[in-house]
Amino acid sequence: MNSMNKLVEELKGRFTLLEVLLPDQQQLIVDIDQMHLHALLSHLKATGFRQLSLLTAVDWIEENTFQLVYIVFNWDTGIHVLVRTKLPRDKAVFRTITGIYPGAQYYERDVHEFFGVAFEGNVMSFKPLFLELWDELPPMRKDFDPEAYSREKFPERPYVPQFVPKVEVVE
Amino acid sequence: MTTNSKDMRKTWEKIADYFRAHSIWMKWYCTGCGAIEMPPTMTSRFDMEQLGMGPMATPRQADVLLITGYLSAKTLRRVIYSYEQMQDPKYVVGFGSCTLNGGIYFDSYATMTRLDHYLPVDLYIAGCMPRPEAIMNAFDTLIKMIEKGEAKGWRHYQENHDWYRKNQLHSLKEVYVKDEFHE
Amino acid sequence: MKEVKLFLGPQHPGMHGNYSAHMYVEGDMINKSYALPGMLHRGFEKLMERRHWMGNLALIPRICVIEPDPNEMVYAMSIEKLAGIEVPERAHWIRMIILELARLAANLMAIGGIGAPVGLYTSVYWGVADRDLVLDIFEKITGARVYHMYIVPGGVRKDLPEGIEEEILGLLDYIEARLPEFYDLVMRSPIFQTRTRDNILLPEEVVWELGVTGIGMRSAVNKEYDIRKVKPYARYDQVAFSLPYGPYSDAFTRVDFKYVEMAQSISIIRQSIEKMPKEGPVRARIATGSALRWRVPPGMVYSCVESARGEYGYLVVSDGREMPYRIAVRGSSYPQGLLGVEKYLPGHRIDDASLWMDTMGVCAPEIDR
Repeated sequence: MNSMNKLVEELKGRFTLLEVLLPDQQQLIVDIDQMHLHALLSHLKATGFRQLSLLTAVDWIEENTFQLVYIVFNWDTGIHVLVRTKLPRDKAVFRTITGIYPGAQYYERDVHEFFGVAFEGNVMSFKPLFLELWDELPPMRKDFDPEAYSREKFPERPYVPQFVPKVEVVE
Repeated sequence: MTTNSKDMRKTWEKIADYFRAHSIWMKWYCTGCGAIEMPPTMTSRFDMEQLGMGPMATPRQADVLLITGYLSAKTLRRVIYSYEQMQDPKYVVGFGSCTLNGGIYFDSYATMTRLDHYLPVDLYIAGCMPRPEAIMNAFDTLIKMIEKGEAKGWRHYQENHDWYRKNQLHSLKEVYVKDEFHE
Repeated sequence: MKEVKLFLGPQHPGMHGNYSAHMYVEGDMINKSYALPGMLHRGFEKLMERRHWMGNLALIPRICVIEPDPNEMVYAMSIEKLAGIEVPERAHWIRMIILELARLAANLMAIGGIGAPVGLYTSVYWGVADRDLVLDIFEKITGARVYHMYIVPGGVRKDLPEGIEEEILGLLDYIEARLPEFYDLVMRSPIFQTRTRDNILLPEEVVWELGVTGIGMRSAVNKEYDIRKVKPYARYDQVAFSLPYGPYSDAFTRVDFKYVEMAQSISIIRQSIEKMPKEGPVRARIATGSALRWRVPPGMVYSCVESARGEYGYLVVSDGREMPYRIAVRGSSYPQGLLGVEKYLPGHRIDDASLWMDTMGVCAPEIDR
């Protein structure tokens, strides 16, 4: 808990954080604007957060924003920091972090494929990865309906109740 | 020996089917999560070889194609590709509820819901996932079906190829597997 | 020599699951390679947004086939953190037993399965047969062989059946007696030694660059980096265990560490059976009324456990409704399975490619989701 307090103090002193949350004793959520995200991640990496555990996005359709979540981990203290930033949904373009965490390359490609967020500077991220010949909205967006897509593309087996045994009602 | 009205096979076909039924090569392709029950079936505990079946690595030498569980659109392209490489007679066994009606992934955008729309299925095994006992039982049934000449899915595929191809193209747009994926 | 394009997988017996690597080879050296994932993509993250919190229990174990229980554990942990549920003491210990049995099963499969790429097929038969005994125990506890759906938010689904402790201890004695035989069969085999010693190296810089966790990381960075040690969950802080670590990671070390970890799992299960409260509740009440109407307070939390291949985590976002708003899965083999194949598989020989996949611990379903 002590190292956590120190970390929070240090980050507050160096960066203008929009919000700081502590969901758990070894977890810290930090909101920051797009401009300072790279500086914050570089600082975290230099201070022991050497591993990028996950990069993903959340589609807040009611606010019309995408929220990018970068999860970095410090193996010595066991602290996860979730760095979050928001992007406008209609202009979802951001800069890559592969210069800081090279492992982010495929996570960015993943987010581009499933949310349509473009990462400038990561050329590979514009190619398809998991899906092949995809022609619809990026599937993890909230306005994409997988059931309708599945109905249209993959016809379902018509339900024939032939397996139900006929029961004669004795009166 | 005369051919009766139901069994239209010629004598040599009956003899051939008898031998086919008792030496089956199963194509070793894990298309989905049901494949995790294949190692116990194949190895010492349940021992598939007592039925005269063995795994085969290449499609051209294999007789049975197992669709072990869900099929994503991307896999289906490759499965069709390998199925068409297999030599006649060939048989398809669908594993689990996913191949029957989509199972737990009925509303997924990536997995197909009905296997017999794309490939002729001779036998389904119900369950999620089918236990090794169920798989052994299914193989036993398949052997009997081949012996009696009831497993005629491959002929159905030949005769109704246009229908199958239409369904495949409707769901997949292209069946051809590109190799220039990353360039 | 001419450069040739070559596909390894998806239909290839040396490939682990429905996964593919696209390679350019010259002679038998790999010059370039790319991973082709997505053959097992089922759209889990989307489907989980469309199911109730309780309904997701059926879906989550299916993300990783080899070791489904860490999925159930991280999901339960996330919900407990969000909703502030206190798990009964006995449930914690039962969870640990289940997780370690699952790790034991996964490691048995891995030690057995390593025989296939090196050409030592006896070990496949042994490993799979012994793993089946663990599955029998699972069947007695949970009713299912592979997908258990046993660890639920608030505890475990039901109490252990009577007398299962003796059966588990008997199984552990059996597996412990088998371990030296596995060592003689696999580790001391000249085929295996020649193929794996000083082959497929994983230096420390590569671990940090890719983000490799688990055995690969511990064998390279010379520190005991394990989620069970660094941020203990359940009651891992109350059992004594030590994990192998070292500064030099080749294929042999990584398989050897799996072997050592099996002994540690056995020791953890024994301690858990000894230390756990003999009776008491195993499931906290999480909701009044129907479980399908259950809501989780809004929030975002990341929770992770140590699976047999490394850090396995879920990012769970709730907006206070009956269904999750977003669940993102961090598969533990994601870094080495995608970026690792692209950057570090080149330079090896073709016949080492499936050995590479095996000892790096690439698990296709958790990458594709």
